[in-house]
Amino acid sequence: MTTKDVIEKIGLRCLSNFEHREVEGVFVSDMLSDVMAGAKSGNLWVTVQTHKSIVPAANLVDVSAIIITSGKKVPQETIDLANQHDIAVLSTDLPSFELVGKLYGLGLVSS
Amino acid sequence: MEDTAGTVKIETIKQALGAVVLEGQDRLNAAVDHVYASDLMSDVLAFGKPDSILLTGLATRQAIISAHMAEFKGVVLIRGKRPKDGAEQFARDNQLVLMTTEMDMYDACVRIAAEEGMAVTHAAAAEPESSGEDILFSNNFTIEGSDFAKAGMVSTEVKSILKKIGFDPKLVRRVAISTYEGEMNVVMHAKRAAVRLQVTPKVIEIVIDDEGKGIPDVEQAMQEGFTTATEEMRAMGFGSGMGLPNIKRNSDDLEVTSEVGLGTTLRIRFFI
Amino acid sequence: MSECRHRWEMANIQFGFVVFEKCSHCNNLRTYFSLDDTWDEYREGDCLWSIVENAQTFRFDLKCRECNHLETFQDLMGLLYCTSCLPDCEVEVVRKRYEAEKTWVLVAFGFLPQARTRPIEERKLDILSEYFNQRRDTKRSRIKIISFNLISDLSRCRGEFIHDVGMLSQEPEERKHLL
Ligand SMILES: Nc1ncnc2c1ncn2[C@@H]1O[C@H](COP(=O)(O)OP(=O)(O)O)[C@@H](O)[C@H]1O
Ligand SMILES: [Mg+2]
Repeated sequence: MTTKDVIEKIGLRCLSNFEHREVEGVFVSDMLSDVMAGAKSGNLWVTVQTHKSIVPAANLVDVSAIIITSGKKVPQETIDLANQHDIAVLSTDLPSFELVGKLYGLGLVSS
Repeated sequence: MEDTAGTVKIETIKQALGAVVLEGQDRLNAAVDHVYASDLMSDVLAFGKPDSILLTGLATRQAIISAHMAEFKGVVLIRGKRPKDGAEQFARDNQLVLMTTEMDMYDACVRIAAEEGMAVTHAAAAEPESSGEDILFSNNFTIEGSDFAKAGMVSTEVKSILKKIGFDPKLVRRVAISTYEGEMNVVMHAKRAAVRLQVTPKVIEIVIDDEGKGIPDVEQAMQEGFTTATEEMRAMGFGSGMGLPNIKRNSDDLEVTSEVGLGTTLRIRFFI
Repeated sequence: MSECRHRWEMANIQFGFVVFEKCSHCNNLRTYFSLDDTWDEYREGDCLWSIVENAQTFRFDLKCRECNHLETFQDLMGLLYCTSCLPDCEVEVVRKRYEAEKTWVLVAFGFLPQARTRPIEERKLDILSEYFNQRRDTKRSRIKIISFNLISDLSRCRGEFIHDVGMLSQEPEERKHLL
């Protein structure tokens, strides 16, 4: 499954410019330290965090996309940094717990 | 997965998550109605529903206090995290179940969702009513600014008093959340405060009268997201600019008066 | 050293706090890792240390999956990303050069003040880069970890640490400058 499939099937908004890529597993957390210690390459990272430091964190562990939940507003700085690093920043109005249900429905497993 | 609350025993969740119980072994028979998955404590206070269980990776005492203020029945720490800074003691003293699971947030959510009837939570409820006169009960407390170690103690006390009196748990919860936000504001932004809890036949009133720098623009401070909090405050899970709006949302009447350089007074009222 | 072409993974992960303290007397900065959340202000000789930041973080070691060789990173305070604040800073120059090759640079810090005189060895930073590169698709991009010693003027650095400070704020703001 690719980021394109996930975006289309769930109806996610794309906030940054990026190249689609293969998705493997999901990691849910609002803490950068958890992500750095636990997320794996190709994971979708589900969070309500929007500060621009999510971008270097996402890049470091090579997640396939950041999905920002609960309709949180994402600052332009974050999007600019994501564009520079080719990191997918997606968003949804669903809260994390509900989005997890949908991702699971697509057959995605945990990280 | 809409807001149709079902009920699941904490024991069932424990089993589903293969969790280890750290506190509240004797309360696993209690039922919870919702699951709230978040590391953002301001969200828990704003949107968490009573009788929920919190899944979080934030293992600090503030996480447990927030869950308690929001009337949650328990907290599950994910990824095998261990509670810090007296979080266990707080859970024990306040009858919360505290567990830890090796699962990550995704797996934990999926496993719980798989238990039939569980529902997802957001959007708090608040039902205003009417007002009255004679003082049935009054109690005073003090809060010290910057004393993070004691932060949350006054609202815990207020909560336990109102609960003992026998008020509707929903109402107690709204008072507890509002008091907690007010208390945190004193700890974060002021020097000290006198708090008065007063109960009349129709009104519960909390007055938090602080000595401190005051609020230059109250209208601005009331806006969601407005904050002057420093990073270390935010590291503790506060200072997201949701405190005053949260009090407004949970109370029936909120009066904020403030004088720059002198202090701030909150009068928060709840109609019984 | 063995023949092993190490395959690194994280080991001994511990979650805790990185504490940044400043002395109001000498204005020095010092940092340490704490398992618990501390907020104490304390005196030490003429110094009055108070906490300027207390961020959630974790520490870890790297272990080779094949030969069990362990490299400790207990002296790693954290990783900072360059915000291009000073165009003539060595880090910015290196960052730009690497960016052209699709390699992203992060700056490793040891705990202060010890790290100023005894920075984390280059060899270990290379292992850290290797770890991050082994677990990513390096055809797309790579990671390069460099030492904070390259920062030309620490007191003017406006880079930001990847750690959990603004983690609970709903409206992210500019972060405080720590260095
Ligand atoms: N008791 C107080 N004394 C001084 N300033 C206050 C007080 N309470 C609130 N404020 C100011 O109002 C702002 C908004 O408060 P609040 O909505 O509770 O958000 P937060 O506490 O997360 O910043 C605070 O950042 C602070 O500037
Ligand atoms: Mg507040």
